Amino acid sequence: MSIALVAARQEIRTLRREKLAQALLIVFVGMVSISSFIGWLTNKNVSSVYRKVKAEGITSVPNPFEHVAALYYLRNTVIYLVLVGALLAIVLGVSSIIRDRKARTVDLVLVRPVQARLYLLGKLGGITAWLTMILAFVTLVSWTSIAFIIGKPLKASDTERLFSFFAMSLLFLLGFVLLGMICALYCSRETSALLLPVAIWSLVTFVFPQLGTAGDPVSLLNPVPLIGNSGGAFSTLNLIFSPFSITEEFKKVSSWILGNSDFVGNPTEGVLILIAVFLLGSLILLTTKRDRLRREIYE
Amino acid sequence: MNNTLVIMRKELLDIRRNRFLLLLLSFILVAVLVSIFVSSLDFRTKLDAYNKYAEALKQAHSTILPAPPQLFPLQLLQGSIEYLEILGALFAIVVGYGMVAKEKLRATLGLIFTRPVRRYQLANGKLLALAITWFAAVVTIFSILTLVLALVANSPLHLIDIYRLLMSAGVTWVYLIFWSALAMGLASFTRQLGISLVVSIVLWLSVVLILPQIGDTMDPDNQVPGGLFFSLQVSKAHEHQLLAHFATFEKVRNGLEVSSITKHYERTTFDYLGIKPKYNQTPIGYAFMGTLPNLLTLLLGSIGVLIFALQTTTRKKLLRR
Repeated sequence: MSIALVAARQEIRTLRREKLAQALLIVFVGMVSISSFIGWLTNKNVSSVYRKVKAEGITSVPNPFEHVAALYYLRNTVIYLVLVGALLAIVLGVSSIIRDRKARTVDLVLVRPVQARLYLLGKLGGITAWLTMILAFVTLVSWTSIAFIIGKPLKASDTERLFSFFAMSLLFLLGFVLLGMICALYCSRETSALLLPVAIWSLVTFVFPQLGTAGDPVSLLNPVPLIGNSGGAFSTLNLIFSPFSITEEFKKVSSWILGNSDFVGNPTEGVLILIAVFLLGSLILLTTKRDRLRREIYE
Repeated sequence: MNNTLVIMRKELLDIRRNRFLLLLLSFILVAVLVSIFVSSLDFRTKLDAYNKYAEALKQAHSTILPAPPQLFPLQLLQGSIEYLEILGALFAIVVGYGMVAKEKLRATLGLIFTRPVRRYQLANGKLLALAITWFAAVVTIFSILTLVLALVANSPLHLIDIYRLLMSAGVTWVYLIFWSALAMGLASFTRQLGISLVVSIVLWLSVVLILPQIGDTMDPDNQVPGGLFFSLQVSKAHEHQLLAHFATFEKVRNGLEVSSITKHYERTTFDYLGIKPKYNQTPIGYAFMGTLPNLLTLLLGSIGVLIFALQTTTRKKLLRR
């Protein structure tokens, strides 16, 4: 059997034993499972508020919260993917490399005529398979919960959008898996291997989007798009930092896939950025020198 | 020298020598400063837009001018406080966890306890070191922040603003100690270090990010870009009257928010700094009294966590197999 397949199988087997990954997985699946209900409850309440406002004669505009699209209730899922999903992906990537470096099993593996890039490809393949299984489960849960909320099965077009959304989510998460793996390969300490990608995550999730839109960190965690400042220097800053604001790009692409009316613009740029991140990460990972893998790791 | 002081000195030395920790603290500082610059730039852009609009109105011989945007320097700190509540808490966990993890990993606990160390001396020494470390970090961050604020806001800070900043710095110090002491206590309490790190990170994720996010997302006002009530031109007083009809939902939403210690920290500092319009330019005592329940919750929570850390960082708990 090819070394990549063996490494992938071993990766899946060991992922089942990773405590931090399991804990984050429980939080992730739990949050995604209830997110549709949070969205539904919130929509029901704001709809009632709007009806009250209308009854008082403050507005005559038709209630925008009634008869929303079925996938509207997935808006929070996007945020949980950015928050919990990305951190889970980082942990999966970091632990996949650190585990072998710490236990020195990588030395044992590499005494055999094994190409480092195939070994790493196998690890990445294992994590991809693991994430695909999780996302497939989450897709099923989301489909069922939305069908329960709207009282009928989702239309074929909505089901297709749902699948596309989770496929895009896989691409987004793989970017963070690669980040975790690369940091774990290049850091000499276990703590820095875990914290460096988390620092980069906070940079792309909070700092870069703030630089481009003037939005405060917490407001970036709201599924409703922020009305950022696009005037003056921000038009230039946004141009510079938006390609690095990967989480914001993912939010935009997701909004477009889910048919969210708040999204205006072209999602192509976002999709290209996510693909570019994945390709760049894969390139760095797969060109890692054999010696790098065998370097000692400290606590 | 007293054992507590010896341990404290050794911990401080370890922290000072840890370049990675210094890097993390620098990262928070940079994020906090970037946020001030961005907020200041945001205000200037809005002011420029207003001036252009006013000029256009003047040329059209209009006598009705909207009120110009007003700068309140402390309001520029909203993003900075949010960075401290998110990243500060995470890095505080790392520091607190490291205090016990290094002893367990290097097997130095056995050596420490061969000396006549009394029950709480190890915990006291470590907690004191944590308090001093965070005190130094908070003093550094807030001093630089005040200086930069005075420069970028281009507006003098009054004595009351300094008091407000000092009070916010004090609350930040308590908040960071809370997370460090919690991580330290968990690292001592669990037999396996990995489990304590897992629990700490899951707690951080849930308490700092998820719970406030759910509460924020459920807010009816947050359902429309720019705010539902603003877009409908509903006044604040009327908004409260409207929401009174949905008291149960609001109670659940608020309950979710206040179950997070982070929200108490955020509310306290936002009120002290006048970020919340209700407390902007009001006497400091008014903001203090208005936010007292949040402050008390934060203090009680921190005392609880300190007791937990004291009770768990003992010979009996640390040396059990």
